[in-house]
Amino acid sequence: MAGAIIENMSSKKLVIFGVILLLFQALSFMVGGLIAPSPTSVMLYMANKCVDTAKSHQSTKWFMPWGPNKCEIIRSFDEAMAKKIEANNIVFAVHIPQQNMEMSPWFQFMLVILQLDIAFKMHNQIEEGALATVDVALAYRDDTLSEWTEMAHSVEQRELKCKFNTQKNYENEGRYYDCDLLPFMELGSVSHKYYLLNIRLPVHERKKINVGIGEVKDIQLVGIHQNGGFTKVWFAMKTFLTPSILIVLVWYWRRITLMTRPPVLLEKVIFALGISMTFINIPVEWFSVGFDWTWMLLFGDIRQGIFYSMLLSFWIIFCGEHLMDQTERNRFSIYWKQVGPIVFGSFCLFIFDMCERGVQLTNPFYSIWASDVGTELAMAFIVVAGICACLYFLFLCFMVFQVFRNISGKRSSLPAMSKARRLHYEGLIFRFKFLMLVTLFCAAMTVIFFIISQVMEGHWQWGSQKLELNSAFFTGIYGMWNLYVFAIMFLYAPSHKRYGDNQSGGQCIISDTGASGEEIQLTTTITHVDGPTELYKMTGKAAQE
Amino acid sequence: MSLSPSLSISLFLSLAVGQQYSSLGTQPILCGSIPGLVPKQLRFCRNYVEIMPSVAEGVKIGIQECQHQFRGRRWNCTTINNSLAIFGPVLDKGERRDGFEVSKATRESAFVHAIASAGVAFAVTRSCAEGSATICGCDARHKGPPGEGWKWGGCSEDVEFGSMVSREFADARENRPDARSAMNRQNNEAGRTSLNDNMFLKCKCHGLSGSCEVKTCWWSQPDFRVIGDYMKDKYDSASEMVVEKHQEFRGWVETLRPKYNYFKPPTDTDLVYYETSPNFCDPNPETGSFGTRDRSCNLTSHGIDGCDLLCCGRGHNTRTEQRKEKCNCIFHWCCYVSCQECTRVYDVHTCK
Repeated sequence: MAGAIIENMSSKKLVIFGVILLLFQALSFMVGGLIAPSPTSVMLYMANKCVDTAKSHQSTKWFMPWGPNKCEIIRSFDEAMAKKIEANNIVFAVHIPQQNMEMSPWFQFMLVILQLDIAFKMHNQIEEGALATVDVALAYRDDTLSEWTEMAHSVEQRELKCKFNTQKNYENEGRYYDCDLLPFMELGSVSHKYYLLNIRLPVHERKKINVGIGEVKDIQLVGIHQNGGFTKVWFAMKTFLTPSILIVLVWYWRRITLMTRPPVLLEKVIFALGISMTFINIPVEWFSVGFDWTWMLLFGDIRQGIFYSMLLSFWIIFCGEHLMDQTERNRFSIYWKQVGPIVFGSFCLFIFDMCERGVQLTNPFYSIWASDVGTELAMAFIVVAGICACLYFLFLCFMVFQVFRNISGKRSSLPAMSKARRLHYEGLIFRFKFLMLVTLFCAAMTVIFFIISQVMEGHWQWGSQKLELNSAFFTGIYGMWNLYVFAIMFLYAPSHKRYGDNQSGGQCIISDTGASGEEIQLTTTITHVDGPTELYKMTGKAAQE
Repeated sequence: MSLSPSLSISLFLSLAVGQQYSSLGTQPILCGSIPGLVPKQLRFCRNYVEIMPSVAEGVKIGIQECQHQFRGRRWNCTTINNSLAIFGPVLDKGERRDGFEVSKATRESAFVHAIASAGVAFAVTRSCAEGSATICGCDARHKGPPGEGWKWGGCSEDVEFGSMVSREFADARENRPDARSAMNRQNNEAGRTSLNDNMFLKCKCHGLSGSCEVKTCWWSQPDFRVIGDYMKDKYDSASEMVVEKHQEFRGWVETLRPKYNYFKPPTDTDLVYYETSPNFCDPNPETGSFGTRDRSCNLTSHGIDGCDLLCCGRGHNTRTEQRKEKCNCIFHWCCYVSCQECTRVYDVHTCK
């Protein structure tokens, strides 16, 4: 047993393998670009202004913006002024979705953004750091005739971050402020057909609630949800990828257990990478179509986080195991310095995610960014995670640099080495360079497509054929990393072939006393040593001679 | 005039201005009862009866914006006696008296056409977002079984729908081969294009932990004042045209050509006109001028709203007025102001 499959594969086979992977890669881009619609959809809602005529505030009463039971609507607040309706009697009602449509569990999630249209008035300006207090209730129903059922009710505060871009004078009264979008609501599952939002902006002068927020003219909501078509394509892709990765994973592990020696660290890490990829792949989201699992969004984040940290750890350990200096590694604890930042960084992001999406499981209107403390806390988590990421990349770059330095050192001494050792080192160098190349390619592709999808408009038109860039980006990149893991598991699995045609190679290693330290090296890397038996055989042969 | 007159002079202003405090959406509209609709508009009205209140609302928004933009000028979009002929014949086009067209193809007329057509597109888009109409934007152009289209791939932009309504309705009468129709078509389109050009993109990131891995963007309508400002610029730089007649198999066809070759030819967003405006100093029903008599003017200003220019050199009267005003107010975000009442003395200047 010597080396990984990649070292023993002929160039021709390797090229064929590469071409097949590229074909699958192209396929995964096509699936997203040609079949799937754009990943998300936007619905704009203008809140209707209902008048709460009942003197006693009944909490059970819901205000419908249209339809047979629609509320008493006023068009503008001048009308309210004339009718002497007060702010506390105005309810902004938004029905999601619009008439004649219904929501579907395939939408996976729904987030709603709040936008206040505030007109500038010389005597009624937005005060510095003004807080809007929003009393909001969410209800659902599943057919157009039944009663609304309350889902959530909360009183939220949002800071108004508004700019007025022209001069503040009487001339410009009536112009709108330019306000930042406010995160409003996030639902982790869309299991009902109709949703209704009733929003109030209660005023309480003594408690300073909603005083100094300017003249609110309108409330606009923006609803974002994943497109059903994209969800279906995505699920289909996951369902297809899961068994493919799983099969290679099983095959890979079987190969390793077939060997007589225990698996080395790198093999274990590759195995773990495969497991985390499978974990992401398993299409548990299918359940979200039938069940009201609001935690799916959070769960998806966690799965992604695990995979990313696994991938980053894998790169570090792969570099470390190919350092080709004389240190004994092969233990996870050696890498604590490099893996530490990954674990700590992803832990920070996990805490942040729990604070945001975790709390949203109970209160969909919660946003960590709404309060000052929350914002600072969130920023702290993100900054720490960012520092960890920088630290990690410094370590990684340094390690890669070390490997290349060692490679060039070894290169010069290669011709002088015995055949087996030369083959061994050449194998190491080839394996490293190959992975380096593939990784760089994948990373570059990810970055390039990310930039394209950010910069370009949503789609390209080719005659009648439309290419959805954003969807192609998601499916393509997802497919690419799957293929990456697939290729690594396949190519870096232990090979059954041997180095040389005869066993004489072994002799040379042992007889080459000049490099006593390197024997240790040979025993620590996965490529060469297959337990004591092989070593015994070799030493036996040496003894014979 | 195309849209604003046929609409405004009849039902729509009575709807939009007259019944200020009734909700437009609640009243069923009988298309047949609207005078002055051409058959194509009537057909449109019947098909899209749900959004006709928004069309009226749009005309109203356009008029209000026009009045705001021209508030200090000799021509200020005013109405005579609050009658329905809100713009006077300046804007009017379609009214022919014994085959004689009274309207003038001036800059002012161009502006009103553009702002009204933009207003209609704006209001329709807005009312689509309110959800009261069922025929808005979400068409079944996407894949998937009919009706399920939006579950597969979402909706198309409501903005396109608003423009479509404005185009279908406002341009319905502008199909004659004469110069005036060509001018109105260009100006109506300029209003809509300006609205579309002033839309701005807003984005929200919602990827892993809120990162921009997943980003969703949408087009947002600007404040209508922005459109008003933009159209006002276009008014100031409107292109003067000359009418050319061609003989075609249908008969005589009039087209417009830029009068001055050394200026850039008008683009999609530019206003065009081919008759010079009157100075609007004296009332003249022929040209649609109301005159500036009794308009209040600004004594200290040297601009067009100053007493010298606005009164066309006729001089002005000054009187003092005591006004009760609200002061030291506490405002709520809506509808309620608690104030003290103060009395202040003003000098009011009006043109002779």
